[in-house]
Amino acid sequence: MSTSTAEDTLASTMAPLWRGAVLFRVGTFVFATMGLLLHQSEYQRQWLGWLVLGVMAGWTVFTAYAYSRESGRRAPIVVVDVLLTLVLIGLSALVLDRGYLETPRPTITTVWGASCIVVAAIHGGQVGGLLAGGTNALVSFLVRGYFTIDIVRDTVMLIAVGFVIGMASTTARRSAMQLDQALRAQAATAERERLARSIHDGVLQVLSRVRRRGSEVGGEAAELAKLAGEQEVALRSLISAAPPDSSVDGEVDLGPQLQVLATPQVQVSVPATPVRLPTSTATELVAIAREALANADKHAGPDARAWVLLEDLGDDVVLSVRDNGPGIPEGRLAEAEAEGRMGVSRSIRGRVADLGGSLALLTAPGDGVEWEIKVRRGGTE
Amino acid sequence: MTETTATVSVMVVDDHPIWRNGVARDLAERGFEVLATASDGEAAVRIARTVRPAVVLMDLNMGASTGVEATGRITTELPGTRVLVLSASGEHSDVLEAVKAGASGYLLKSASVEELVDAVRRTAAGDAVFTAGLAGLVLGEYRRMAATGPDADPGTPRLSERETEVLRLVAKGLTARQIADRLVISHRTVENHVQSTLRKLQLHNRVELARYAIEHGLDGDPDE
Repeated sequence: MSTSTAEDTLASTMAPLWRGAVLFRVGTFVFATMGLLLHQSEYQRQWLGWLVLGVMAGWTVFTAYAYSRESGRRAPIVVVDVLLTLVLIGLSALVLDRGYLETPRPTITTVWGASCIVVAAIHGGQVGGLLAGGTNALVSFLVRGYFTIDIVRDTVMLIAVGFVIGMASTTARRSAMQLDQALRAQAATAERERLARSIHDGVLQVLSRVRRRGSEVGGEAAELAKLAGEQEVALRSLISAAPPDSSVDGEVDLGPQLQVLATPQVQVSVPATPVRLPTSTATELVAIAREALANADKHAGPDARAWVLLEDLGDDVVLSVRDNGPGIPEGRLAEAEAEGRMGVSRSIRGRVADLGGSLALLTAPGDGVEWEIKVRRGGTE
Repeated sequence: MTETTATVSVMVVDDHPIWRNGVARDLAERGFEVLATASDGEAAVRIARTVRPAVVLMDLNMGASTGVEATGRITTELPGTRVLVLSASGEHSDVLEAVKAGASGYLLKSASVEELVDAVRRTAAGDAVFTAGLAGLVLGEYRRMAATGPDADPGTPRLSERETEVLRLVAKGLTARQIADRLVISHRTVENHVQSTLRKLQLHNRVELARYAIEHGLDGDPDE
């Protein structure tokens, strides 16, 4: 399903190029027919001229059919296309005599001969275009057997056409691939949301029921309840995590990234509308919240709870992390810092300073610890 | 807090039978009168009209039928019935919409039975049940409305400085008592501030809905 989507995207991007090639070939065939009608009286072997034109007609019809569908745009057909065209151009040497060839009158294939360059360039990119253009120019030169400024110009044109169209084809192919990647990412996100919904609706409901009932029953059931509770939190984090590619213009919504930090002990409050910040700032703020929560977990005791609050003030974004543990005793912070032990405080201070934000630390014995980090939007970088 | 002098009648709305029956049993065991259960919003409105519970426990994530709409209809039609949203985390915009539609509170599904029982009692008593999460949402909503610029509708509700202060403390997990202590105001005043933030939001929502209805010629309510 997804591979056919990729091919479809590519095919639909390349289709206009192929249509153009077919149109070019049909148009040049009409031109070649008119050239033959006009000049046939001067040909050395008229019958061979008509035979060449017949083969051109047949090949034009066949390739118009083949290149109009995806299954016909294949390397063997393109290679045969180029080789056959070279042979037909070469046959001009037998159809026309030297006198004719030494004048700037057209060969049998005329511009039709260049249509295979377009085809090769579309299929094979620059390399294909250059190869077809180069051999085409070489054979044309061999048929004429001499160099004039006209021939040089034709040579350059043929090679340039091959190169330029090849480049266009490569670019189109690349953008088709990028489009396909974007579509895939979108599909992955949709799938993720679908899974999240079904996990939420099924497994999570049961787990949270087991957790609650089990802890009421107590004993062995309480142990099972604890396990169920742990899995419940893990699953919730998993399904509420923002997909990694949610960034647009290097900005992300900080809200979902913080929500992942929620556990039975940690409640995360964010606005309902996205809080967009540069990815690096958001990552730092999440790291700060994690650190503050880890510190709360270590010092506030197993029964303590913690809250994370994200506020968007327009110009500023405020992140608060608070726990209801015993708090940091007065003087302890300065004392610990003097001894070089208070890693958390220093590390958080450093991170906030790097963001160009301000930090307030509120604590009193018995009243928990509260960090408040204020960062200016789009300010300091 | 207060002992149950009268039994509180409740109705549980959730599309998951395990959860629905579990909550109903928890509440029945603790002396609540479970009048009915419903598995979708449509049925919830219909049944609530007949049984008239004091408190409806409403899930929001119920597939096609939205708990938000049911919340709006129940609170408009039945003045004596209050809706307490009981929802999983991560359904932020839905919770906010439900509260604007008239729900008097919001509790996470991961809350303990004690917290649930307490929340139902308080909802029945007319208090707003604010979790930290809801406070964060309401704060965000006021700020979003304020940020729409100077040409904003003059009727747009705003938070007073005190209300902002109180909501921020609720969002940081402080209890009403702790907030009262910190701001040196009474416990009752804290409750009043919290409720007024909700009421303003709900009133604004009603006005907006009515205006929308008049502008789109939908005001001829066939029921009236």
